[in-house]
Amino acid sequence: MEFSPLINRLIEDLRCLPGVGPKSAQRMAFHLLERNREGALALARSLADASEQVGHCTQCRTLSETDLCPLCANAGREQHLLCVVESPADVRAIEQATPYRGRYFVLMGHLSPLDGIGPNEIGLDLLDNRLAEGVVRELILATNPTVEGEATAHYINEMAKVHGVTSSRIAHGVPLGGELEYVDGGTLSHAFSGRRQL
Amino acid sequence: MTDIRVLLQPAYVLHQRAYRDTSLILELFTPAQGRVGVIAKGVRGNKPRWRGLLQSFQPLLVSFNQRGELGLLTEAEAQGAALRINPQLIASGFYLNEILLRLLQRHDAQLELFGWYDTALRELARLNVTDDAQAELEIILRRFEIRLLTALGYGLVFDHDVHSTMPVQAEQEYIYFLEQGPVLLVEDSGPAENAENNEAHMGIKISGHALLALQENDLSAATVRRQAKRLLRAMLGHYLGPKPLQSRQLLQQSAQLAQRMTH
Repeated sequence: MEFSPLINRLIEDLRCLPGVGPKSAQRMAFHLLERNREGALALARSLADASEQVGHCTQCRTLSETDLCPLCANAGREQHLLCVVESPADVRAIEQATPYRGRYFVLMGHLSPLDGIGPNEIGLDLLDNRLAEGVVRELILATNPTVEGEATAHYINEMAKVHGVTSSRIAHGVPLGGELEYVDGGTLSHAFSGRRQL
Repeated sequence: MTDIRVLLQPAYVLHQRAYRDTSLILELFTPAQGRVGVIAKGVRGNKPRWRGLLQSFQPLLVSFNQRGELGLLTEAEAQGAALRINPQLIASGFYLNEILLRLLQRHDAQLELFGWYDTALRELARLNVTDDAQAELEIILRRFEIRLLTALGYGLVFDHDVHSTMPVQAEQEYIYFLEQGPVLLVEDSGPAENAENNEAHMGIKISGHALLALQENDLSAATVRRQAKRLLRAMLGHYLGPKPLQSRQLLQQSAQLAQRMTH
């Protein structure tokens, strides 16, 4: 169906959001225009501000509009502990679920040699400098348990050795409340090789 | 292209990239279909299907519907545990994947090569990082490279001079022309100049001894491995074209890191 040009444009632009097809875009557009003009204006302003101002934290590479993100600027966080993750969403997940009080380093991806994503593309030159400063004493490697994530963790571990920094890898295993019978073979074998003495 | 249904065929993932919200586009290597591109739907996000299965170095059984260029993955099962390649050697695993991706045509059956790839990965996974691991690693890689070139129809000649058809002599030197084979290096017409001219015509100098060892598939001697590496690098480079191999860059960066460690 044909709408006026502005409405068409809005629907078309809303489709840049992940998971939004033509139908949901149309629903969103009409909801904003019919019922929530204020919300629409606020959204427009936030979108404009955020896309213009948000860059990367100079220390941990996460998304931030200030030079240092709030986590890096927070003097109360342990300086000697550094947790390496693949994305800002991972920082969020760890912050919400764990008592971890150290700092983060966000790779914004993982090593993916076949796509031309090497150590420098994920900011490992920056991490190298940071380790050279000598403040960080322990690294926690929390990259994803995929082949590429493991390769990334290994590379960073080698880098940590150069600087005499100890590093550990997060454990992989059976999910809490899960049943062994339904756990996939790979996870189960990892859980076995990483078993702990009681 | 007509619709093809492939049922539970052995496969390895060579490469994966994100597609839309929760899907992946996979490049699979299968014996009967060769390299195929398939879409795997609903495999990322909250409740992914086939969690953790669709990764490199995991032996799989897959079913897919092939229609046009990209197929649709309908079933995936593990065929045994994932091959755990030592992280220090994983770049070599990526290297095998990359040369397959670059050199294999889609939908071109590779029954034998699939077996060799499987063998190479299993050998890589068995390798422990020790002093002689480097030699073992090179043997695995060179053998696979030779088998890949052979499977692609760029068969290598190691046993006779392609000009004179005389058998290769161990004590002679040869020039290996990339699209032909070895030719005896004529010493009396100024060897240095001759060799250089030949290099310019895509020729690689190699000893008769190394050629005969390659014919016997015997890479145990370090000199043979060194010459084989030079020859195969030139040959693969010839068919790969000017675009550099990405996995080789990771190998080099890892080597630099290792060097800093020893200082």
